[in-house]
Amino acid sequence: MSKSFLVKRSIRLIIVFFIIILINFLLPRVMPGNPATILANEYQLPPEAVESLEELLKLDRPLSEQFIAYLYSLFTGQWGYSYKYYPTTVFELIMQRLPWTLLLLGTSSITVFLMGVALGIVAGWRRGTRVDAAITFSAVLVYAIPYYWLALTFQFVFGNVLGWFPISQALTPGAVYNSVLDYIADVLWHLTLPVLAITLTAYATYTLVTRNTMVDVLSEDFIMVDAAKGLPQRKIMWHAARNAILPPVTLLAIRIGHIVGGAVFTETVFSYPGVGYLIYESIIFKDYPVLNAAFFMLALTVIIANFIADLIYSLLDPRVKYER
Amino acid sequence: MDFMESLSRATYYIMIKNKKGLLGFIILLALGMVAVFADYLAPYDPYEIVGDPFQPPSDKFPLGTNDIGQDILSEVIHGTRISFYVGLTAPTIATIIGLVLGLMAGYLGRIFDDIISGVIDIMLSIPSLPLIIVLAAYLGPSLTNIILVIAFFEWVGVARVVRAQTLSVKERPYIEVAKALGASSSRIMFRHILPNIAPLTIAYIILGATSAILTEAGLSFLGLGDPTAKSWGQILNHAYARNAFALGLWMWAIIPGLLIAVIGMGFTLLGMAIEEYVNPRLKSYEAK
Repeated sequence: MSKSFLVKRSIRLIIVFFIIILINFLLPRVMPGNPATILANEYQLPPEAVESLEELLKLDRPLSEQFIAYLYSLFTGQWGYSYKYYPTTVFELIMQRLPWTLLLLGTSSITVFLMGVALGIVAGWRRGTRVDAAITFSAVLVYAIPYYWLALTFQFVFGNVLGWFPISQALTPGAVYNSVLDYIADVLWHLTLPVLAITLTAYATYTLVTRNTMVDVLSEDFIMVDAAKGLPQRKIMWHAARNAILPPVTLLAIRIGHIVGGAVFTETVFSYPGVGYLIYESIIFKDYPVLNAAFFMLALTVIIANFIADLIYSLLDPRVKYER
Repeated sequence: MDFMESLSRATYYIMIKNKKGLLGFIILLALGMVAVFADYLAPYDPYEIVGDPFQPPSDKFPLGTNDIGQDILSEVIHGTRISFYVGLTAPTIATIIGLVLGLMAGYLGRIFDDIISGVIDIMLSIPSLPLIIVLAAYLGPSLTNIILVIAFFEWVGVARVVRAQTLSVKERPYIEVAKALGASSSRIMFRHILPNIAPLTIAYIILGATSAILTEAGLSFLGLGDPTAKSWGQILNHAYARNAFALGLWMWAIIPGLLIAVIGMGFTLLGMAIEEYVNPRLKSYEAK
């Protein structure tokens, strides 16, 4: 991996990080009604309270001074209090929720990638056949299915009607675990439907891209050489598949944000206690400090995931080395 | 004349000969008719309280009534209009912005390219959905705001492709000729390069429609929709918030979600057909 590539990507990471901080700082301040007046309207506070709130939030100071204070509190974890969950601080709330979102995201990214790429390889290998048509058509169909709709349907069918899986939460309420294995089993049991809902709505793009790359690769000379050498079909397919796997990896880097989007909706449907469900709650309760912090955390997750995917990509593809 | 001929040939290929295109066209035509004739097709005014709340499907209310007693079928029929409105306006705005900036970056190069490419690179790294959600939350519930926010994120993809295309088209001999004859930069960009990349941009509008519709529906589902514009996402939001499934009113949640998927599929199939027509490399996949 070349150094300049790493430096370039790191600079971009820092710029994007800074922009997200700036958005988070500016949004509550440039929108009509500052945080103090919004809070006052919401809870019918007297004017004196608004004044002391403005003082507390330092809204009467110049913007530059506010920004420095904001940066300081951001990096020291002083993110204010949640309106809804007062006296829990926003920082505590986010830290409680983040592990669940990371678990859901990590698991679904893997299943989405595996399912999407596997189907794409099969469709590309059997291009022009009914198998190809069926895989491509179903991919186009699920591409436009809203996450929350599939989640609602799964919740109803597998949860309410069949009773196979729990319909909400990440753990059985009030459960006492005899061993770590029991705990893990309960976590996985609650994770199944959300992951399934995300996987089945998000795999399509990977399938379509892998299929098209596969078709491209199969028309290249080295495949013809393989065939001429009399290699078994299985080996030729493997050879082509290995070369068709890079574009979906790039796609994972670009589209990890979409899986985050899927997590927001799916968590909402299943009341899964992650950052995504927290966003929904904060919208409903106009809990702006929490909304901002949740956005910040999700954005951070995505840019870090993108950065990691970039690094993996540069390790996988030798050509990236020569990039300036 | 020549233009009309190639247009009709393109239309024939995209909408009739290409199976994906034909299916997409039929879906969009059918839903388009529903949108145009919504006033005649809907049995009731979707905003009027016409019966008791939470009624199951019956002859009088084929999909039942919602939590305040409005007819769900009428809501769904009128929702078609919102979907088309969002699905066509947001990507059109995005495509115009992407087209102009992509042309400038590709043709003018140098500092224009540095700035525009830099912005594209950074925009692509900012997670759009979380940002769209906070923006919509702060801007307040209005359909126009939602459309503008969607367009603000969609132009990036268009600009990137237009830039790449412009870079290859600008090396062609006739562009050199136009330059030698003293044509201005804007004339070369819009009269000579634009026609070459126009078909591709149409594909982008069509393909962008799906994601615009999904985003609007998603925002509405999270409770950030425009309360004065009943979209499918908003019907789903109410169904979710009122536990439609647990009440046994599953049509309330199933139908609008299904329609979002169907209209999305219509736009995607048509867009794929246009892409295959424009980009012959993709077309050859079909023949193989």
